[in-house]
Amino acid sequence: MLTEVHVPDDVSAAVRLIAGGATAIGGGTSVLPWLNDYASPPTELVSLRRTGLAGIRVDGTTVELGAATTLAQVEHDDRLAALNPVVRSIASTPVRTLATVGGNLFARQPHGDLAVALVALDARVTLVDSAGARELPVAELVAGGRPSGLVTAVGFELPQPGTFKYVKAARRRYNSASLVTVAATITEADGLVTAARVALGGVGPRVIRAHAVETALIGSPLTAETVRAAGEAGRGEIEPADDAYASAWYRTRVFPVHLRRALLGH
Amino acid sequence: MPVRIVNLKVNGVDQAFMAKPETTLLLALREQLGLTGAKRGCAQGACGSCTVLLDGAPVVSCLVPAATVDGSAVATVEGLADGQELSDVQQAFIDGFATQCGFCTPGMIMSAEALLARNPDPTADEVNEAISGNVCRCTGYAPIVSAILDAARRRRERAGQEATR
Repeated sequence: MLTEVHVPDDVSAAVRLIAGGATAIGGGTSVLPWLNDYASPPTELVSLRRTGLAGIRVDGTTVELGAATTLAQVEHDDRLAALNPVVRSIASTPVRTLATVGGNLFARQPHGDLAVALVALDARVTLVDSAGARELPVAELVAGGRPSGLVTAVGFELPQPGTFKYVKAARRRYNSASLVTVAATITEADGLVTAARVALGGVGPRVIRAHAVETALIGSPLTAETVRAAGEAGRGEIEPADDAYASAWYRTRVFPVHLRRALLGH
Repeated sequence: MPVRIVNLKVNGVDQAFMAKPETTLLLALREQLGLTGAKRGCAQGACGSCTVLLDGAPVVSCLVPAATVDGSAVATVEGLADGQELSDVQQAFIDGFATQCGFCTPGMIMSAEALLARNPDPTADEVNEAISGNVCRCTGYAPIVSAILDAARRRRERAGQEATR
């Protein structure tokens, strides 16, 4: 049960409370469902709502999202065209009003599609604890283990037009967890893939950076044949599970289809 | 158990109430302010029956600790009617038989109000997206979508009449 809800006015107060054992919430859409069942251990919350961490800054191609920026803010910001569809694929409107960028990094799979996109965009987070601030790639943050401190911001470079790909397959078009999420940044030159960052959601206990898929793409033309081979390579690095949305078998079976749709658009 | 006073402007009226740590916005509205339109369905943010507008935007009020929104403005279904005159959305729901058991209706209506405030001329698909967080377990979705489109049309016609007046 909840024993206290702190609403500090600044980041350093929030960091102190977190160091003391309190749980940070952005919008609370992941933590409150768990608390509402009344069976949780005694919990103190720290709301980030008044810490000044909400806001979107775009300077040229450099983006910084405050950790308490809501998904709805990202959804409606024209400067973040690449992320608009990503956010629209997450939960529902009345949840996105509350849910935050920082919070979504900690949403458990098969949720947390924004984190999948941010790994593909090579985003990094700013992490603040009592020792100060440090930066960490999102890929490292979501790879497991919970680093101490508070995520205060997420930064990345806007992708070149046409290079960022995103597909989320779910049971319903809106407001459903991921069966397979594919996010990728693909750079081509002279008809060949020269760089690829591919991240997957819905097919493992954590967001997966698909290194084998990337290796299969780089140096080849982005054709159906190449993508088929990349899908084969990727089967070895996904770890899907059975859940209420789909079986592991189904996810494995359709993964190459959604990889193709993401990378080739059909 | 620390209790604090929380101030909200609810349907235009200043309200103050005592909130325990576990007091959600939904619980405060229902138990302390007597506004039982918003419903407690799943308490997980998945069913949308508790949807209200927080500073103009739709939220699942079951997931909002009341202490975190001190000073905010909240709009609930109780605040939509002007005296005996229902809002366009409310009237369209009645006219279009868009309520069955009625449990989801307040949340549906608040999601619809939020949509129409942002987009006065939505497509059926945009309505579907806007109410994708509101579950109707009677499964009466088709009349709900029709009613929201009808309300949008009524509102546009009224705006057109006022513009030519």
